[in-house]
Amino acid sequence: MAMAIETRDLTRRFGARTAVDRVSMTVPERAVYGFLGRNGAGKTTTLKMLLGLIRPSAGSAFVDGVDVARDRMGAARRVGALLEAHGFYVNLTGRENLDLTRTLLGVPASEVDRVLEVVEMRDNAARRVADYSLGMRQRLGLARAMLGAPPVLVLDEPTNGLDPDGIADMRRFLKSLPERTGATVLLSSHLLGEIEQTATHIGIVNEGRLVLEGELSRLKSDLAPEIAVRTDDPVRAAEVLRGWDLTVIASDDGLTARLRSGDDADRRSAELNRALIQAGLSVFAIGPRARSLEGIYRDVSQPSAQPQPETVR
Amino acid sequence: MIAVLTVEARKLNRSLAALLAVAAPSLIAVFLFFNLLRGGKPQPWEMWTQSSTGIWAFFMLPMSVTALTALVAHMEHGPRAWDHLRALPVARWKLYAAKAICVMAVVAAMSLLNLALTLAAIHGAAAIKPEIMPTGALDVTAQVILMGKVLLAAILMIAIQLWTALRFASFVPALALGIGGTFFSVVATAAKQGVFFPWQMPVNMLAGEPWRAATALTLGAGAGTVVLLLAITHLSRREVL
Repeated sequence: MAMAIETRDLTRRFGARTAVDRVSMTVPERAVYGFLGRNGAGKTTTLKMLLGLIRPSAGSAFVDGVDVARDRMGAARRVGALLEAHGFYVNLTGRENLDLTRTLLGVPASEVDRVLEVVEMRDNAARRVADYSLGMRQRLGLARAMLGAPPVLVLDEPTNGLDPDGIADMRRFLKSLPERTGATVLLSSHLLGEIEQTATHIGIVNEGRLVLEGELSRLKSDLAPEIAVRTDDPVRAAEVLRGWDLTVIASDDGLTARLRSGDDADRRSAELNRALIQAGLSVFAIGPRARSLEGIYRDVSQPSAQPQPETVR
Repeated sequence: MIAVLTVEARKLNRSLAALLAVAAPSLIAVFLFFNLLRGGKPQPWEMWTQSSTGIWAFFMLPMSVTALTALVAHMEHGPRAWDHLRALPVARWKLYAAKAICVMAVVAAMSLLNLALTLAAIHGAAAIKPEIMPTGALDVTAQVILMGKVLLAAILMIAIQLWTALRFASFVPALALGIGGTFFSVVATAAKQGVFFPWQMPVNMLAGEPWRAATALTLGAGAGTVVLLLAITHLSRREVL
């Protein structure tokens, strides 16, 4: 499969601190790739290296097959970006802002109307950006990223500042982008729910390292299933479950027993239910739980220096 | 380069920088207008035009350059637009060169506007009080040449101010430098060494001693151009984190 974005051992150090540590990520063409990580995990630094804004200390980055370090201009022609700071000139109208970027890109004037149409901003294009809401600025930023129809879009927190309807619109829009335009979308966000509903692929970065990457549906199905358990005595229930050689995670919602990959979650639920009742516990609820992106994220993005406080072993 | 220059010029539309470009020369004209009305006797044209150029070169030009470079730089610093600009397939030196050319063009326009408004103020005052109408012939060409020399001598100051304004995201270093430069220029007016001080080079175009004017013009324009090129090179190579 052809890759729209690829990095090889991409590294960036700031003095003694390594912000990005040998990241090798692959974003297939026409994917919506959710790039996840805590604040300071290295997401923005990675994006900046992909956009040629900062130079890597080691390794390389390719956009649509073009080496960013060797041919920054060539790579820049293939990528449109929506960054966290919008960078609009508030004294100008939305249309004037887009036209400035269009002029710098050297693309036809009709492109401005096309992208305004795509983000449904034509009616507001004549207003000064100073009068725009955050959501409107976000959509204008998206329009600007799409000027010239680049094959790769890098979007940093595109749902920032949007109301629930706006978030739903943006989600639908981003999901449909690869099919409608053939573009690949690299989406950086901390909203796991949004990424889960939008992305086809994910990459999770933690302390500068890419700790997990892959097709989201496959990651979820490959992971060991879980069973949610609620009883009258969680401490004793955890002991019983540990006796079955299971990893048990306690939370406010009850216990979660993590099975082994390939286990039949329904059958195992019934067996555990029997075991808990035989141990004299009242079982309020028990049943398989689908692995969520949040669970995957929490598993792989724990700070290395800290123990996992919710894990009962 | 034409596209980048066009974009840079269009950014000034409805901006504070455009307002400043009109406001600063207007203030000199307003001052001159009321000063003329205070007088009862006619004076030579040259006296009034020299007076206007003096105020411009000595005080208003350094202060305007300080504000203009800070405002032009803040167009990008304010909304953090550098990342967007620098991610585009445009050679980075062009972005900074366009800013420098744009600032020079605005200062040139302000110089001409200063001259035009000065003449308008004199004619306006004379229309109200005909007895103060200046005597002798008005040599507009000589005045334009003088304004041009003032502008050329100011290149070093403009280069230093522009580099500072673009290098630091905060207003403070550029404003502190500009205010400090203008202050020392004013308090050290009589100092012979003032001719080597970038903020005093423009006003030295009015100096009676020819060597001062020649030195200020050569240093201001020559060293100014070199510093401007070095500033563009430095800014386009550095990473904006």
